Formats: sequence, structure tokens, C-alpha cells
Amino acid sequence: MTASRIYDSGYRPYDGPRLGAGHATRSLVTHTLQRIFGLHRPARTKVLPMLITAIAFLPPAVFVGLAAFLPKQLTDATLPTYGDIYGFISAVVLLFVMFVAPEALCPDRRSGVLSLYLAAPLTRARYLAAKAGAVGIALLFVTLGPPLLLLVGLSLQSAGPDGPGGLALALLRIVGAGVTLAALYTALSMGASSLTDRRAVAAAGTFIFVQATNAVAAIIAFGLNGPKWVLAFSLGRAPFELARQMHGERAIDDFHVATVVLAIGCITWTLAAAAVAWRRYATLQVTR
Amino acid sequence: MSAVIEARDVIKRWGATTALNRASLSVGRGVTGLLGANGAGKTTFLGLVLGMHRADGGSMSVLGMDPWSQGLEVRALIGYAPEHDALPPDVTAHDLVRHLAQIHGLPRREATARASDVLYELGLGEERFRQIGTMSTGQKQRVKLAQAIAHDPRLVLLDEPTNGLDPMQRDEMLALVRKVGHQLGIDVVLSSHLLDEVERVSDSVVILDAGRTVAGGTIGELETRAEAELVVEVDTGDVRRLVTALKKAGIAAIADGDRVIIALENERVYDVVRDALVAAHIGIRRLERRRTSLQDVYLAAGAAGAES
Repeated sequence: MTASRIYDSGYRPYDGPRLGAGHATRSLVTHTLQRIFGLHRPARTKVLPMLITAIAFLPPAVFVGLAAFLPKQLTDATLPTYGDIYGFISAVVLLFVMFVAPEALCPDRRSGVLSLYLAAPLTRARYLAAKAGAVGIALLFVTLGPPLLLLVGLSLQSAGPDGPGGLALALLRIVGAGVTLAALYTALSMGASSLTDRRAVAAAGTFIFVQATNAVAAIIAFGLNGPKWVLAFSLGRAPFELARQMHGERAIDDFHVATVVLAIGCITWTLAAAAVAWRRYATLQVTR
Repeated sequence: MSAVIEARDVIKRWGATTALNRASLSVGRGVTGLLGANGAGKTTFLGLVLGMHRADGGSMSVLGMDPWSQGLEVRALIGYAPEHDALPPDVTAHDLVRHLAQIHGLPRREATARASDVLYELGLGEERFRQIGTMSTGQKQRVKLAQAIAHDPRLVLLDEPTNGLDPMQRDEMLALVRKVGHQLGIDVVLSSHLLDEVERVSDSVVILDAGRTVAGGTIGELETRAEAELVVEVDTGDVRRLVTALKKAGIAAIADGDRVIIALENERVYDVVRDALVAAHIGIRRLERRRTSLQDVYLAAGAAGAES
């Protein structure tokens, strides 16, 4: 008796289960995440996301290494706090922000595959939610991952927070700050990416907009001696300052803005950017 | 047999432009050609079938459901291949077809298997792991068709599927469309502005002109629906004498070269023509009922649209 079989590879009717819109949404999230990280795509598309992710994890990895090899007296003085870690990774987070949403959104419109998605059991709202979910998860890699690595690495070497309560509080703060940063930058980059179908333009637009808000806020607050609360709207600094303050850190010298004001600034930008993306997709003409 | 698509007095406007103007039509089983010039409203109609737009008036039923209020359910059972480019260039054909099958509700394992099967069926078995951007236009059109049928839909909407194809690729694509409709058992709406390709693969035809339905039915019905006429080809004798004799008998007739075209109002006309030929000593080569081709119907529809 032989173990070989002949398979009929032709078309055949399908009478199995047809999973609903939830399955379609999850499939789109997975597919978009694969696209962002270059999976199932040529090797060159994997380089940038992997490189950025690696760079984001480098500072906490170095600090964990220092904690392992240096005497405790030295490490206590040199190791950053969990809030300080954002100062080391803010540039790479912004770099990732410039890359992720344009990669998730722009090619669908540019290639026309958006019309195939909207001809499937997906509404525009579900499509956008799936894309936001994928972008948010990707951003969590760099907003949540590095401080989490620092926490785990230091805790394993008994250099972490004191007791279970301290550990839980630090974890809660890391998750809260990471999710806040991811939510804001997801909305921001999706808003920018919804306005053009060219990835490079979306990335450059995001960068320019972030730098412009920094510059305008700094000019008003410092150059014109205006109110300091406008600093809460500087997209390159305020979110990371909010993340620091969520860890209980004091405001840094030139950035005296209350936590609640920073939170209002971040929420305002998140809602405004999300509204831009939604408005754009709600009125987008896919086919006539 | 229930209609797959039923539209009654459907109106759709884009700003000041009326894309569909009280269009009424019925699409049954098999392959149905949606024929019309560019701008006739074909793509808009397909968008309404998919529930992607809301009609400004009239009613529609697709697979027994309202496509606007039950869009998700309708779209789960429909495959769609748009006219424009809709394929990401940096994804393999297999990945795209599998992904879109999953989006249409198939579990991942089933979607993976069916993506391969469908691409084999459409002649892309060896090419399925190639990036779509490296494929020829003909192969891309096949990928579009593959993604439209991979989830085993009940209805497939193909918008100008032969666009950009050379004559050989076009023949192959039409053969595939016919195969989908007749061998795979999926009902097909083939939107095209090319009469001959609709005629070659369709069982039924709906002709749209300026947003209105100007004709619809099976190809056989359309070809015989026009006003019945007799054509007599004269071999020897004077054509004008035959025309005069028929007119005297109260039968409308006109001369067209060596042919006489006679209104076939009833069966008595045959006897009158026979008697007139004998009386006028006219020899004929042929006497037959005039058949109206689909082309005549299409041209007549276009002419009617231009006059209105």
C-alpha cells in the first residue's frame, strides 16, 4: 500500500463557515502588521522597521547590561528612571511614527486595493479601525517595549521597583504612558497619511508638522514670553513630557506645564487628527 | 428562477450629473453582460450592487437583500474585480488572494488552500508566488479574477475585465469568464463597452445608455424582439415593380439595392408576396425573416439615447 495521494487542485465550491466582519477586521490588522514589519515581502522592506525597533531597544538593553556588570553604587547613580527612558527613545519613536502609518495606509489608496477592501464585508469605519489597531500595535513596540525591557531587566537583577506594589505601579505607569504615546501618534500619523497616497510625502508631512508645532509653541512660550500652556501642543516634546510626568517625574526646567494641561493638549491633538482621518475616509470616492 | 439582481427605477446622482436615471433591470442566473458606452452608468450600477453607494431613488435587491442596509451580508457573497488598477505591486498573488479570501470570511487555512487552487484554475499556478508588480497585464487581470472568486461567491461583478489585454489575452480572459459562469456555477455580471465580448460569453444582456436601461433580456430574445420584417433578394426582374405591387396590396415595403424589405404584419403577407412575385415575373435568390443582431439593438439603443 502506498502513502501517496492524488490531490485535485482545481476549483471547488466552499460550504464551510463564513466568519463575520470581526474576522475580516482581525485579518486586516494582521495583514497590516505584517506589511509594516516587511513580513511576506522583499528583504529590503524589513530593514527599516527592524532597524528602528532594534535602536529603540538599544538604550534599555545597555542600561540593563550596565546594571548587570557595574557595582550597585555606580548603577544607582547612572541608571535612568523609567520616566527618563523616553528621553533616550523619543527620536526613534518619532522616526517610527513617520514610517508606520504611511506604510499602513498610503499603499492601499495608491494601488487601488482599498476598493477591494470596501467591496468586501468591511465598512469604512471598520477598515479605519483595523488600520488604527495595526498602527497602534506597531507603535506600542517602541513606546511600551523599551521601558518594559528596562523594568523586567532591572527587576531580574533586583534593581527594579521595591516590592510587588512598586512593581505593579511601575508597570501600570509604563503601560499608561506607552498607550498614551501610541494613541496620540497613531492618530497623528494616520491623519497625515490620510491626506496623501505617497508614503514619502506623508512621512515628511508628519515630520514637518511635529517640528512646526514645537517651533510655534516655543516661540510663543519663550520668544514672546506668552503663556507656557501652549507648550502642551508641541507634538515633539509634550507627549514625552506627559509620559515622564505619568511616571511621577518632576517637570523639567524649561517645560513647566501641569500634567493635566499636557493631557488636554495630547487628547486635543489625538481627537483632531482622528477626525481628519475619519473625515477623509468617510468622503473618499473609491469608485463611481 | 429568482433574479440575482433586481433594480426598479434606480436613480443615482453625482452632484449635478445623473449617473443612473430610473434604471430598471433584472439579472438572472448565468453570465449577464452589462453593456453600454463609457459613462453609461455601468460602474455606478456595480457600486450600488455592492452597497458602496446609496441610491437617490428606486429600489434594489441583490441576492434577495437590500445592498445598502445589508451591505456586509451582500458583500460577503459577492466577488468584485474593478476596472481600475487594484493590486498592490509588492505582494505575491497568492498572499493577496488568500488575504482577500480571509477578509470575505474564510478561515485562514481554507483561504490558503483555495488561493492556490483558484490561481491554478486560472492558469497562474506557477506564477502564484511572484510579486504582482512583476506580472504582465494579462496575469494581473487573472489575479483580479482570482481574488474575486476565491471565496466562492454566489455572484461575481467584473468591470471591463479585458481592459489593456491584447487579442490573445482577451480571448483567454473571456474563456475564463465563461468558465466561471458556466462550469464553476458562479453567476457573473460582465460590464463592458465592447459588444462582441458580451455577445461571446453572455447568456443575457442589459444595455445601459446615459443611465437608462434601454434593452434587456436573453441574447435570443433581443435578437428577435425587433419589428418583424421579411427580406427578399431579387435575382431577376424589376425591384420597383415588386414594391409597387406590395404597396397596392396595403403592405409596407422599401427597396434597398436588389433587396426589398417588407413589413411582416401577419402570415397573410407571405401569400401576397408570392402572388406579387409571380405577377411581376420576378425571380428571387432568397426570402427570409430578417434577424436583428445584438449590434442592431445596441446601435438602436445608442441612437435612441442620442435623440432623447
